[in-house]
Amino acid sequence: MKSIVALLLATLMAGTSFSQVCNLQLSGHVEDADTKDKLQTATVSLKETGQTIVTDAKGDFAFTGLCAGNYTVLISHVDCEPVERKITLSKNQHIDVFMPHARKTLGELTVEAQRGIANTGFKKELSGKALSESRGLSLAEALSKINGVTILQTGSTIAKPVIHGLHGNRILTINNGVRQEGQQWGNEHAPEIDPFIADKLVVIKGVDELRYGSDAIGGVILVEPKALRNQPGMGGEVNLAYFTNNQQYVASGVFEHQLKKQPAFKYRLQGTFKKGANATTPDYRLNNTASEEKNFSATAAWKKNKFSTELFYSHFATKLGIFTGSHIGNLTDLKNAIASEKPSDVFLGQQSYAIQRPSQDITHHLVKSKSLLYKNGHKFTLLLAGQFNQRREFDIVRNTANTKPQMDLSIYTFSEDLSWEHPKKNNFNGAVGISAVQQQNSYAGRYFIPNYEANTFGGYFIEKWSRHRWEVQGGLRYDNKTINTTRLKFNGSIINYDFNFSTLAASLNTIYKPNEHWRLNASVSLAGRAPYVNELLSDGIHHGTATYEKGDIGLKTEQSVNLSAGLSYQHPSDKVGFELLLYSNSINGFIYQQPMPNNPVLTIAGAFPLLQYQQTDAVLRGGDLSVFYKPSPALEWTGKASVLYARNRTANDWLILMPANRFSNELTYNFKAGKKVSGAYLSAEWMHVAQQNRVPSDKNGAQDYKAAPAAYDLINLHASATVPVYHKPVTFSLGVRNLLDAAYRDYMNSQRYFTDEMGRNISLRIKLAL
Amino acid sequence: MKQQLMKWTMVLAMGGALVTGCKKNDAVEDNDEELITTMKLSFVPVGGGTTLTYQFDDADGPGGTAATQDEIVLAPSKAYNVTLQLLNKTVIPVTDITTEVASEADAHRFYYAPTAGSNITVSGLDNDADGVPLGITGTWTTGAVATGKLKITLRHYPGTPPGKAAADAVDSPKSGTDIEVEFNTKIQ
Repeated sequence: MKSIVALLLATLMAGTSFSQVCNLQLSGHVEDADTKDKLQTATVSLKETGQTIVTDAKGDFAFTGLCAGNYTVLISHVDCEPVERKITLSKNQHIDVFMPHARKTLGELTVEAQRGIANTGFKKELSGKALSESRGLSLAEALSKINGVTILQTGSTIAKPVIHGLHGNRILTINNGVRQEGQQWGNEHAPEIDPFIADKLVVIKGVDELRYGSDAIGGVILVEPKALRNQPGMGGEVNLAYFTNNQQYVASGVFEHQLKKQPAFKYRLQGTFKKGANATTPDYRLNNTASEEKNFSATAAWKKNKFSTELFYSHFATKLGIFTGSHIGNLTDLKNAIASEKPSDVFLGQQSYAIQRPSQDITHHLVKSKSLLYKNGHKFTLLLAGQFNQRREFDIVRNTANTKPQMDLSIYTFSEDLSWEHPKKNNFNGAVGISAVQQQNSYAGRYFIPNYEANTFGGYFIEKWSRHRWEVQGGLRYDNKTINTTRLKFNGSIINYDFNFSTLAASLNTIYKPNEHWRLNASVSLAGRAPYVNELLSDGIHHGTATYEKGDIGLKTEQSVNLSAGLSYQHPSDKVGFELLLYSNSINGFIYQQPMPNNPVLTIAGAFPLLQYQQTDAVLRGGDLSVFYKPSPALEWTGKASVLYARNRTANDWLILMPANRFSNELTYNFKAGKKVSGAYLSAEWMHVAQQNRVPSDKNGAQDYKAAPAAYDLINLHASATVPVYHKPVTFSLGVRNLLDAAYRDYMNSQRYFTDEMGRNISLRIKLAL
Repeated sequence: MKQQLMKWTMVLAMGGALVTGCKKNDAVEDNDEELITTMKLSFVPVGGGTTLTYQFDDADGPGGTAATQDEIVLAPSKAYNVTLQLLNKTVIPVTDITTEVASEADAHRFYYAPTAGSNITVSGLDNDADGVPLGITGTWTTGAVATGKLKITLRHYPGTPPGKAAADAVDSPKSGTDIEVEFNTKIQ
């Protein structure tokens, strides 16, 4: 706005001052800041005049016949984050523009993608509008907007992502380039990541998984922050949100700065505060379901010529209440609780932000240092990271004066990754890397898993080839993991176990694009996962489910072979398109918990059903389909379907705890941008989740306490618009989840035994760019 | 800058050395202070006689070595003053949990449920400060020779306030189970 005024003044002055002629030239040169490649076909436009030109083969451009004045130059390129420059033109001028890679600080995968080779495997991302609609929700809830991703929940406060039926240790979460290491084995252990850090959430499968580990049987989640500011000066963004159901408020802010005097140095500070009260189902409010989250992160980077280094620190802290009525003393209590239609009134009705027992208190620290060196097109990366995760779980205790946690797990993880990427040659490019991880876990309070030290060494090799309509990628990875566990029992006896596992992973993807509109791909991926300590050595009562969980030290590594095929089409008019993915994941030695109804564990609190970790051969087959149709520029319909069939081949039965089939329809109306309002839309979504009929049979004794809940339908609404306030864009959004306030339960929520899911939840969001 | 990078690398490496240096955690298991391993019943015959003790004992807690459980053998047509004691044997010295239960009497309650035909009746349970039964002590009265079962349940009220009331059934949704042991009984 200011610049327009300035321009108007400038033109006015140009018109009135007789000596001035509009014959100035603005020329420039555009280069990739990382690779130093000259950027051809970058679009350069002058906001004030509306002139647009593209750079030539040398990356050069020139505007002629310009009047003196203030101009805003906007430079954009498909591979890069757009750059805006403000200049005051008084004589002929030349500018050099170094374009940053759009996601240079993100996963390596996207850097590859920018060099013209797309990830040919499964890749789905959540960004822009879809991510904005999930601001204030947990990481898993946000990810569940991706077709094929569902969630595993414990009440309304704890959610874990599930990719094609797999979760926990079978999914790797890469937080800003670092493999997240906490206690991800537990079903009620949610990822310790602030989703506000991310500018984009990506789910990948296939060759690029190999960069992070050989054990990503379910896939990899990349939590990718925005690139640091690339325009000298300061900037920021504030996100505010309020949710009516549990009176949850969220405030998140980012501040960015690139030094004017020393543009090589830039930094970012980011923080989030979130606090929610007890959640409400359509018929009752659940006591002790409040939550609180305090997160902070800082990034500093230095980039000069061919060397760049970045330091990142993040702190995540959360406190979560767990519904009081779900804390179970013994099997009799559980059966009584399950038998009643709704929880007892003593556990209902409090409107409060207070968090009492049972609860969880989790902190996660991450320090990361990443350095890049470019030399003759070669790229060397050194990534060092340290993580500390503390999980404290507070059970209901006899003595109200007791403030100690009943389970207290601390885990330190250090990781070192070194990689080398060679430049594209003869249609090939690729990467080689080695990595090491050291981990130490210790516990206090109740035993569930032992103290242990784990050391992993691994290496990978990836090559990608592309020519004309074909792309082929292949990769190999090997990891060796040593685990030394120790448990010093109360009676002085020491129980030590040592394990060593080797895992091999390999992947091959092929893509064929017969023309611009069709894309076919097929891939085969092998992955191997070493058993985790909980699967080997857990031994104790799980109060949430009134079961006795027991590990097996004889477990072997899990080996999976995943076959997948994808087909996508986009009509030349861009009005119709679809994307289909079919997969079949065969997992030999699939580790799962087998209920042993005939071998209960007798304790002073009665008999507890035994869950024994076992291995079987499993196969997960399914498909995801999404279709869109735009009958007019304003109107868009999107349909999605996701189905999964998961078999226990050894027992010739279904696998327990697998997501049910689901279908959704979304209709969006995009309003035309007005003088003030832009990006306005209104959308309505109808989601149907089928009943999970594919559950293990009871022929060998009861496998579950309660039949899977009935199918349900949800209607959700979203509306959003951006208006300038004091020349800054402000986005207002309104969301309604479960518009009809439907009472339902979900098979993948362990609280389905006790309570309904959250009722209607209206959210208000405001985003301010500073 | 390279120097700075080196510095951070050093810091991280040192941190790594520290963690890998301080070997396995050698602390003795700080066992679950919530654990009850043993329930002991002392029977003092009214009018004199030898004191009898019977117990449920799971000395290493759930899992591990299986629990042992006595059969309660009592004489016919007799009254016994019974005192219940709870122990945690996984800590040294062994802790008496009974005092802890007694100190929060308004949030705890023992229930005694003999099966029909066991010819045992339990009465005269002690009360908490509000006059609601607590059940650490009581009187057991036997009838004719019989065999049967008797279930002892300790219920814990997690709420604040606990809301314990005399009319609460053993399966009241207000409370949860801490102990549930069924003894075989014999009157001979």
